[in-house]
Amino acid sequence: MKKLASYGVLLLIVVAATLVLRLTPIDYAAQDRDSTLAPSTAQHWTGTDELGRDRTVRVAAALLIGLAGATIAAVITTSIAAGFGLIAAFSHSAVADVLMFISDVFLSLPWLFLLMMARAMLPLTASPVQTAILTFLCLAALGWPACARVIYRGSVALRSSEWLIHGRACGLKTSQLIRLHLLPHLRPLLLPQFLICIPVFIVAEANLGSLGLGIGEPLPSWGAMLLELDNSALLAQSHWMYLPIALLVIVLFLLESLTSEEQNHA
Amino acid sequence: MNLLAIGVRRVARTLLLLLVVAAGATALVRFAPGFLSDEREMDAKYAQGVRSEMQTEGTRDQSVGSIVVREVRGWMKGDLGESRQFEVPVTELIAPRIKVSVLLLARGILFGWLLAICTAFPASVMRRGRQLWDLPFTLLLASPTAAMATICILADAGGPVLVLTLLIAARDFKFLSRVLREAWNSAHLLQGRAQGLGLAALTRLHILPNVAQRLRALATLSIVTALAALIPIEVIFNVPGFGQLAWSAVMNRDLPVLVAVSLLMAGVVALASMISTGAETLEAA
Repeated sequence: MKKLASYGVLLLIVVAATLVLRLTPIDYAAQDRDSTLAPSTAQHWTGTDELGRDRTVRVAAALLIGLAGATIAAVITTSIAAGFGLIAAFSHSAVADVLMFISDVFLSLPWLFLLMMARAMLPLTASPVQTAILTFLCLAALGWPACARVIYRGSVALRSSEWLIHGRACGLKTSQLIRLHLLPHLRPLLLPQFLICIPVFIVAEANLGSLGLGIGEPLPSWGAMLLELDNSALLAQSHWMYLPIALLVIVLFLLESLTSEEQNHA
Repeated sequence: MNLLAIGVRRVARTLLLLLVVAAGATALVRFAPGFLSDEREMDAKYAQGVRSEMQTEGTRDQSVGSIVVREVRGWMKGDLGESRQFEVPVTELIAPRIKVSVLLLARGILFGWLLAICTAFPASVMRRGRQLWDLPFTLLLASPTAAMATICILADAGGPVLVLTLLIAARDFKFLSRVLREAWNSAHLLQGRAQGLGLAALTRLHILPNVAQRLRALATLSIVTALAALIPIEVIFNVPGFGQLAWSAVMNRDLPVLVAVSLLMAGVVALASMISTGAETLEAA
């Protein structure tokens, strides 16, 4: 029931954001220099930012970009982790040792530091769309090690199960065994790992953005909107500046609840 | 395999890991765009020929071989090389900052653990209203560190220790309450409770020995979480610590500082992990 409610509210927020972008004729980058930091009006429901850009449109776009980017990155990272974990579990122990050592190298550095280092070493003067792609690709490329370890342990536990030995005795190839038997059995591990990645990636993007390494302007992002909060003089003029952070916390809260539910079921 | 062999193998693995981290950080920075640029090239007072000469000299000076030689020489000398942006030995930069960050980390982890334990224990024995009890921690988990820090500054309340404490408490509470709930509902504990053992005896004799291994893992995880959170917290609160130095080194492609920072961070994580798994091995032996 709680799970359904969380999915429902999340879906409602996504639909609302999509409708805002579809129905509002204003572009997220369009500047209205005559009405900077405008209060709530019929034209700008939640006012404008310091460059006169419509806040509702920007928040809706940031929400969709963040969710879509994090979901795609989570799919990539879970796939890498699944591949890595399965190869390690079904290979010679030396190969497994090497693969687990590689994951240990990634895990030996704190996630945000590693992410920051990798992101800062990539081109910073790219177009906004390219920075968004680079940011989420970085997240996907560096988010898999912990997940791979979980899948490796799960696969090792399943390796000696009777149904797998039976399948092998029946002449099934390793690829068939993995596709037909192992992956369905690993689903209770893979789904929570995938769901965990989404809020983690959204938070990471916001933290990276607040350090000046996130998605480039004028593309809206949670990180850039967090940076807006740095200016307390502007905050006194418009309380609508708190809208992005409030919405971000609500979305992350729903995602965290869903993750907890899935983990409890697993 | 005897304990000594296991110990030697673990230490060798950790050293190899640190070597790979140092090599990775060097490669990442060396091949980053803009690493070879020199700000003097932008100065109009230098003629085109001089600028070309500077470029050639810079490229020669920054080849992978010369970087490695310089790094190793700095480490042998004990000053960890010279910072590219501050032009002082790296040790001079790191030493005062470590004190600041260690104090912040120690306070944050200690208070975070205390808060998590004090709240997770009632949550694990609670029959009703647990979701309501969990709510503030889920909300904290849903708040990015940078957002928490910014809100603290805006509200002019709390500081880096509070943000770190809340972050650690939120992460640890989730894990601790699950572990303690499992322990509390286990069959032997139910029997102990039925026999009338007091809470203190139950905790000392049954709960703690059962969850000790997972608590050690959580302690390692807390250190990693705190180290990662240190960067946005120190940058936003302008704390002159290790995290701020790491951020500045990354932004300015300061290779000697970055290698030292990476090695220190990886060393701390590896050491914490080694202590945690070492205790397990000793217990098993």
